[in-house]
Amino acid sequence: MAINISTAISRETVSELLNENIVIQTNNLSLYYTPEKSALKNVNIQIPEKKVTAFIGPSGCGKSTLLRNFNRMNDLIPGIKIEGKILINGKNIYDPDVELEDLRKRVGMVFQKSNPFPMSIWENIAFGPKVNGLSNKKDIDEIVEESLRQADLWKEVKERLNESALDLSGGQQQRLCIARALANKPEIILMDEPASALDPISTGKIEETIDELRNNYTIVIVTHNMQQAARISDYTAFMMVGELVEFNDTNTLFTHPDKKLTEEYITGRFG
Amino acid sequence: MSLFIEKELKESNISKYRKKALRNNKIAGIIISLGGYGVVLSITAILLFLIYEAVPLSFSAAIEEFSFFNSKNKNEKIMLAGLDRYVEVEYLVFENGIINFYSVSDGSLLKVEKLPLKLNEKILCADKGSLSNEIFSVVTDSSRLIVAEARMLPNYDRNKRVIVPELKIKSISNLSDEDDSKNRSIKLFKYSKNEDGNDFWAWVNDRNELFVKIFEAEEEVFYFHSLIDQVRDVEITSLAITQNGESLIVGENSGELLWFDISDYNEVKLKDNWKASASAVSAIDFLIGDNALALGTTAGEVQVWFPIRTKNNNFKFQRIHRFKSHDSAVSEIFVSSRNRSFISIDESNVLQLNYSTTSETQVKFTASTNSITTASFSPKSDALIIADEQANIGIFKVDNDHPETTIDALFGKMWYEGYDSPEFVWQSTGGTDEFESKFSLIPLIFGTFKGTLYAMLFSVPLALFAAIYVSQFAPKKVARIIKPTIEIMAALPSVVIGFLAGLYFSPLFQEHLMTVLLIPVLIIIMFLVSVFVWKSIPEIKRVKFAKGTDLLFVLPFLVISFLLAAGVSNILELNLFDGNINQWMYEVLGINYDQRNSFVVGFALGFAVVPIIFTISEDSLSNVPQSLTSASFALGASPWQTVVRIVLPAAAGGIFSAIMLGLGRAIGETMIVLMATGNTPIMDLSPFNGFRAMSASIAVEIPEAPVDGTLYRVLFLTALLLFAFTFAINSVAALIGDRLRKKYARF
Ligand SMILES: Nc1ncnc2c1ncn2[C@@H]1O[C@H](COP(=O)(O)OP(=O)(O)OP(=O)(O)O)[C@@H](O)[C@H]1O
Ligand SMILES: [Mg+2]
Repeated sequence: MAINISTAISRETVSELLNENIVIQTNNLSLYYTPEKSALKNVNIQIPEKKVTAFIGPSGCGKSTLLRNFNRMNDLIPGIKIEGKILINGKNIYDPDVELEDLRKRVGMVFQKSNPFPMSIWENIAFGPKVNGLSNKKDIDEIVEESLRQADLWKEVKERLNESALDLSGGQQQRLCIARALANKPEIILMDEPASALDPISTGKIEETIDELRNNYTIVIVTHNMQQAARISDYTAFMMVGELVEFNDTNTLFTHPDKKLTEEYITGRFG
Repeated sequence: MSLFIEKELKESNISKYRKKALRNNKIAGIIISLGGYGVVLSITAILLFLIYEAVPLSFSAAIEEFSFFNSKNKNEKIMLAGLDRYVEVEYLVFENGIINFYSVSDGSLLKVEKLPLKLNEKILCADKGSLSNEIFSVVTDSSRLIVAEARMLPNYDRNKRVIVPELKIKSISNLSDEDDSKNRSIKLFKYSKNEDGNDFWAWVNDRNELFVKIFEAEEEVFYFHSLIDQVRDVEITSLAITQNGESLIVGENSGELLWFDISDYNEVKLKDNWKASASAVSAIDFLIGDNALALGTTAGEVQVWFPIRTKNNNFKFQRIHRFKSHDSAVSEIFVSSRNRSFISIDESNVLQLNYSTTSETQVKFTASTNSITTASFSPKSDALIIADEQANIGIFKVDNDHPETTIDALFGKMWYEGYDSPEFVWQSTGGTDEFESKFSLIPLIFGTFKGTLYAMLFSVPLALFAAIYVSQFAPKKVARIIKPTIEIMAALPSVVIGFLAGLYFSPLFQEHLMTVLLIPVLIIIMFLVSVFVWKSIPEIKRVKFAKGTDLLFVLPFLVISFLLAAGVSNILELNLFDGNINQWMYEVLGINYDQRNSFVVGFALGFAVVPIIFTISEDSLSNVPQSLTSASFALGASPWQTVVRIVLPAAAGGIFSAIMLGLGRAIGETMIVLMATGNTPIMDLSPFNGFRAMSASIAVEIPEAPVDGTLYRVLFLTALLLFAFTFAINSVAALIGDRLRKKYARF
């Protein structure tokens, strides 16, 4: 299944992207969990600023792996090997002068399974600002409120900020995790299937939240739900077995994709 | 048809199978619950047994009448009375020199003996001269002094004990070769015979003249002293001579006491005099040990005085204990030959049993309706004999097994004889009969907690850092080596650790104290240096180290700090501490360095505790889900921030339980503290001297404790306390650990 890398991004999209400000760019990115097994192969992708970019593809194709590269979460995995370059705002994030903590502050992340800390709601949101050096309670209070408002959670929790975050519902917990990521005032938010464990109503709320954030943040979202990708994203990347098959503007990708593989996937012939 | 049967067969098989499963289920259930209840039951049984053995310590004393009879010899005054050590035979000394031995059980007369008195010679006064046997002396109206012993030795006839009474005349002499006090009435008379066999007499005649006579047995020389000049015009109301014959105390009508030193037989010196009371001192006697003076006054006061060392190294008597007052004048005081008990009797024949050390009056009752003429303890102090002027003889059983273990004595400061102030003292056994056991549990409790404190100071940081490193930072390969290694340490028998600590590390530490003290300082310095060096390595080279191995980078620096400590210590010691830091500490700081000290124990006990704390806290740290640490990292937290803010709180319950379990282990640990401390029950927090822990104390003293004795029961009480402490700690650990888990460990 040879895929012509240079043509993963269609000509029209390339010209479209020329008008955009590229925030994340990978150059021939390959990743090996073990020396024999590559999870990403020569991925070249360009993610534009203040747009929602969705990653789709069959299970195990490397969407999460690619996403986790953008804030170097993969570094935590022992024995991993990464080749190629990842540029954020034109700077290779593996350059020695890049501070890992600072990178992660700028590139926030929301996980598939909500993972609030076993602390109060307030403490959860305040965690990021605190570890990044903020100590003024009033400033943090402001950030907490603002983040919760952005994540559409403020109204529901403003009376119970001191209660345990674990007492919230699943959907609320996930929005709390979004608010927690927002509290760091990141430029980029990475979301790995943020709604996959939620009911349709909660999913709807998350989508609304993403919609509200799209103007201020660069959002990269992994999803299995193609309708969701179609609904919320501006650009979509389709991946298979560690390779980027097609990167296109969402509309085009779902209506008349460049690649036959993409068409087969979105019409449900495999996956 | 056959098919139908087959089906039924199958069904019945199934139901059989079900029944069998149900039955097995039931049996298993019973066995499991039996096991559970069994554990609870046996623990309860142990607890109850400990309580059962310890509780008699708190029983109060009782005196009960045991036998009563009349000697039918009303015309002759009873001068002395006494019992044998089995309380089977009693003897009475009558005014006319007749000595009758009676059977205690039925009052039958066993034997009649007679002192060698002349015709119409009568005894004026009599006094017992020893606490260990029934030796007494009488003074007669012909001014003769007779010393005799009422022997009541057991004879085993066909395995039956028969007491054979017998009178031995020891000596006969005259009051004085000078005629002065001849034919005078004697008002007060005291006699002592010391261990060398020397006799000491002191008496006061009706002209208030005081005399002392001493017989030196080896040289067979009599010494006679008239103390007329030394006593002023005040009437003498009481006398006491110490058992060893070194001191004579004279009580006066004015409430004053005179203390004479009679240890120099050639010269009697007035050592001190002081006012003890506003009323006349009507009765005095020395308690066993010749140190504490029990006195009673005409106002009914009962007190005990000890000589206390003053600033210029003299001794002065001080009032230490006061007891319940009598309602009338105290007429007699006599002491126990077993312990610090003494009896005071007043003029209305009310008797008090007092225990000196605890300041307690244990029993008070009216012993007779007639005036009491003489009374005495039995040799084992388990009975009293009381004779009144109507020749009634009462024998009382004294139940007073553990007078020295009041709550105050066990847990409070007690003013013991020979001490300058009340103190917590544990000193269970001594060389002589006169030794008073001191059972303050506080030094032992203190010791236990001191050992535990030092052990925890050493082991908690070490075990926690190790657990954090292994669970959060170490590469898998390293963790796979460290974890089982530390866990194997738990299997090390504590006797081995104790042995190593006591016989190897103690002398090593003492010899290389400077090095040992330097190592922690240097380790901290070198650690900081290593961090600095690490930071100065360019990032690119650093990345080549696998995650977690960066801490291994510290290892060479640790080795360097050890070598440095060894190398520098000599130079430092020579230049700063006059060549020997132990000596220097003692001379300049006043710190005494015991070879087996808390420092060594903390180190050794730490070895026993580290694996427990490490294993349990490592488990709970590893159990903190990765989703939480990932979230923390993703928010820009550094690894250390993640550990402190997320991992530690989430594992707090487990870590708390781990520390408490370690604490429980340290408190209960016996062999290590036994072998690595000097087991000295002192109360001093200094790391350089030893202590005695409760557990070690039990182990050390068991061979010294006769069954059902006070020490035996106190050891059970110690065990009970130990049980209570560990129980309390474990309960608190479970409770708080649970709370913490509920709060933080919801994942
Ligand atoms: N920590 C890891 N160690 C080893 N292999 C891994 C690890 N994480 C993922 N992989 C492998 O890498 C490949 C890509 O995994 P990844 O999680 O990125 O897929 P995905 O596209 O996100 O799948 P899904 O849609 O099911 O989440 C898979 O084959 C997976 O088994
Ligand atoms: Mg995934």
